[in-house]
Amino acid sequence: MEPFLEGLRLVLATDVLIAILASAVYGLVVGSLPGLSATMATALLVPVTFWLSPIAAIATIITASAMAIFSGDIPGALLRIPGTPASAAYTDEAYALTRKGQAELALGAGLWFSAIGGIVGTISLMLLAPALAEIALSFSTYEYFWLALLGLMCATLVARSSPIKAIASMLLGLLIACIGMENPAGTPRFTFGIPDLLGGIEPIPALVGVFAVSEVMRAMAEAEPPKLPRRRFGSILANQWFLTKKYQFQMWRGNFVGIIIGVLPGAGADMAAWVSYAMAKKFSKEPEKFGTGHPEGLVEAGASNNASLASGWVPSLLFGIPGDTITAIAIGVLYMKGLNPGPTLFTERASSMYALYIIFILANIIMIPLGIMMIRAASTVLRAPRSAVMPVILLLCAVGSFATGNNLFAVLLVALFGVLGFVMEKNGYPVAALVLGIVMGSMLEQNFVTSLIKSDGDVLPFFERPVSSFLAALTFSALLWPLLAWIWMRLSRRRSPA
Amino acid sequence: MQVTDRITGGVLVALGAAAAWFGSRLPAVPGQDIGPAAFPMLIGFGLICCGALIALGVGQSFEAPEPAEPSSAPKPRLGAVGVIIPPALLLFYAYASETLGFLLTAFIMVLVAGLALGSRLSIAIPVAIGGPILVHLAFAKLLRVPLPQGLIPAPW
Amino acid sequence: MIITSRRLILGATPALIAAPALAQPRWPVRPVQLLCPWAAGGGTDAVVRIIANLLEKELGQPFNVINRTGGSGVVGHAAIAQAAPDGYTLGMITAEICMLHWQGLTELTFRNYTPLALMNNDPPGIQVNVNAPYRDVGQLAEAIRTSRPGQLKSSGTGQGGIWHLALAGWLMAMRLPANHVRWVPSNGAAPAMQDLAAGGLDFTTNSVVEARAMLDANRARALAVMSNERLGAFPNIPTLKEAMNIDYATGAWRGIAGPLNIPAEARTTMNAALGRVFRSAEYSEFMNNRGFGMSYADADGFARHLAAADASLGDAMKAAGLARS
Repeated sequence: MEPFLEGLRLVLATDVLIAILASAVYGLVVGSLPGLSATMATALLVPVTFWLSPIAAIATIITASAMAIFSGDIPGALLRIPGTPASAAYTDEAYALTRKGQAELALGAGLWFSAIGGIVGTISLMLLAPALAEIALSFSTYEYFWLALLGLMCATLVARSSPIKAIASMLLGLLIACIGMENPAGTPRFTFGIPDLLGGIEPIPALVGVFAVSEVMRAMAEAEPPKLPRRRFGSILANQWFLTKKYQFQMWRGNFVGIIIGVLPGAGADMAAWVSYAMAKKFSKEPEKFGTGHPEGLVEAGASNNASLASGWVPSLLFGIPGDTITAIAIGVLYMKGLNPGPTLFTERASSMYALYIIFILANIIMIPLGIMMIRAASTVLRAPRSAVMPVILLLCAVGSFATGNNLFAVLLVALFGVLGFVMEKNGYPVAALVLGIVMGSMLEQNFVTSLIKSDGDVLPFFERPVSSFLAALTFSALLWPLLAWIWMRLSRRRSPA
Repeated sequence: MQVTDRITGGVLVALGAAAAWFGSRLPAVPGQDIGPAAFPMLIGFGLICCGALIALGVGQSFEAPEPAEPSSAPKPRLGAVGVIIPPALLLFYAYASETLGFLLTAFIMVLVAGLALGSRLSIAIPVAIGGPILVHLAFAKLLRVPLPQGLIPAPW
Repeated sequence: MIITSRRLILGATPALIAAPALAQPRWPVRPVQLLCPWAAGGGTDAVVRIIANLLEKELGQPFNVINRTGGSGVVGHAAIAQAAPDGYTLGMITAEICMLHWQGLTELTFRNYTPLALMNNDPPGIQVNVNAPYRDVGQLAEAIRTSRPGQLKSSGTGQGGIWHLALAGWLMAMRLPANHVRWVPSNGAAPAMQDLAAGGLDFTTNSVVEARAMLDANRARALAVMSNERLGAFPNIPTLKEAMNIDYATGAWRGIAGPLNIPAEARTTMNAALGRVFRSAEYSEFMNNRGFGMSYADADGFARHLAAADASLGDAMKAAGLARS
């Protein structure tokens, strides 16, 4: 109890509270700009943390990243511009709700279940950190290979079109991920002598291109849809309370899956939402409603997304292994401020550790009122004329992608991916599967090749390690399930001709 | 840009074949049995298979036709040609912003896009002036992104 | 809020630096750009940002860090070399500039830069799983000598990366073939350290600072460091020279440089200012907290360092079969 009270005292200092509030507003604003990611918001804070006390410095990073990830969903829901590869899983669903005139419901679900996910994830971090850390350390390259494969299969489950076209889109994404020299062989592939391609294609320009630019292109060719009648939706939170009761099981399942996937460094953040959204659809009583503006998947994916963010701190805090780019930055700040990651952080500096937990919870709580204000403000975009909003979005696409590396090549990529996304959508190829392929491609190849190097070309370790055998079984059953279902359907139809 | 599945499938087959062919010519790497060639070839063959299936029309039955949204609003003035405007404006930004500077490039970009979307000049011009200024404040001042000064440097 | 705090900082600094600013009237008279070829939030970014902060205090003009990323560092390095030689665009160059051209990935070499100062060097360590049977680096070296080629596995970064070359250089110093230990490419040091702790690798050769948290968590053990002197932050780890009498040292170094033909006063001013930055208490406190290795050479010393590093990295790459041509 002593360290907890000490931690509380650390957090309640004036400078820490000001830092939390300021970085919350900052994170909400930066995250909501299309093309700017939470990583970018966090990285830009690092020079500011030079001047802050240790707890205030960490508080700015934690708060800003949590806020930016939530507000990254705002352009996703309102304008179909996802903020992160993770939110690409459910962008179409949220946007469909917006087109039905229920933008507040979609965004409110994102906010409410993100906050719950974040708090549940933090509690799991407090109670289970050492146990969760063991999960992270039991994953070698063999397990990561199966995990990447499972993640990719979500693309076909999520898609609302022909599964073959979904697989083709995903393969196209994997092919794009081959570009550059960031592959296990360190050999430049498909770079066509362009130095800018050596580092490969970043997901952010691809994401902005296939979603946002292609949306602006569609607007050019299609008539403006009739304005939505202006309605008051009453309290955003009241709606969420109803959803919480209706989809309580899905919410807990999302939290649980998010916590487990989140602790796996390098996989967590991007995969949790995809897996949970696919699970929600797979086990739903009404899967046909998915993709048409149905909140069930948003509940589960949102809960999973933010739970994974919190549990993603476990390997960072215990072993200094970053789960994603944001925790990589946070680890740097922790070292800079003398809060070195490691088990001693949990024992010798327990009060600082409790302070971090309290900041996590606090950030997720103040996210609700600030987020509601942000949603109300952002929703006005929907009432502005399209011919005024779309040009500014196009400008933001250019500047946002430029800002990721201060490199104009990213702007060219955005244009190229815009055309690609437009053509794909017109012909029934899901662009979300393309994004998933780009994100997971290097993980799949990296872990496949390094596993074989380590085993001297032997494939047995893919199946004989305990966790890998379980994941392999899961992958094969997911792979064969549609086939078996199809055969069974055929047989039963033949037996009883209708 | 809507074409038949036969064509998109054919394009995927060609792309897959090209990926497999160029992939197979990548040099082996000492110390690695699986070189850089394996993955592009695997993906290439996968694309060939998918492309062929799509061209043959397998899996078409799963596709839900997009609900056509009836609308009485007038079509944008450029029709189908207009779709090339957004990517063209992005290319314009990429090549012109260094010389013209951010504010001027962004003004042209927002103005052209607004007009193409059917905006009246009385709305398009204020948006094309106000939008870039706000974006410049957010990115150059708040986020310290080095946006080019060019012909009209920002006065702040 | 961010803007206000920056204004406060900028407003406060001129008073502090008024004296040195008067002593150096000609350069810099306006803000200087410092290009960083690697992404915001990474190690190089952290080092260049603390240097920029301290230079701002020294010279009285803002030093703005710009991350120019892409192309595995090629884009940013090229941007520094091709910047206008007026002294107002400088940048941080890293060990990759002495590696990329050997792989045929760029025409750029260290000769395309005006070196200003070497500011940091992180030497590689040799780390094993905490349950590994090797008590010291001599036992590991013996196990390597008696193993079949390719039997033992090591990692730390991608194929042909700086830690791969550190392994190759160490093996060659032991008069073994450079690929006697099989290199498992990884996506940076963190996944390699994780796999080491998970029992998937025999040892890793990434920098000690990157292994630090796993060492602190008692999941890994450091056997030696490939540098000439022990590290300030890790005084218990012996050097290769002490442990097995092998003279081999390398590292991932970072330094400040500009394009060719920058004005003489920019060069002399920066040379002196970077020396003062390196000796400042703030710099050493920052570097020690982050665990970064303190290593300094002035403009001439950095030029000699670049030539030597280019030759030795080139040798290691040729021996490991990683160099083109």
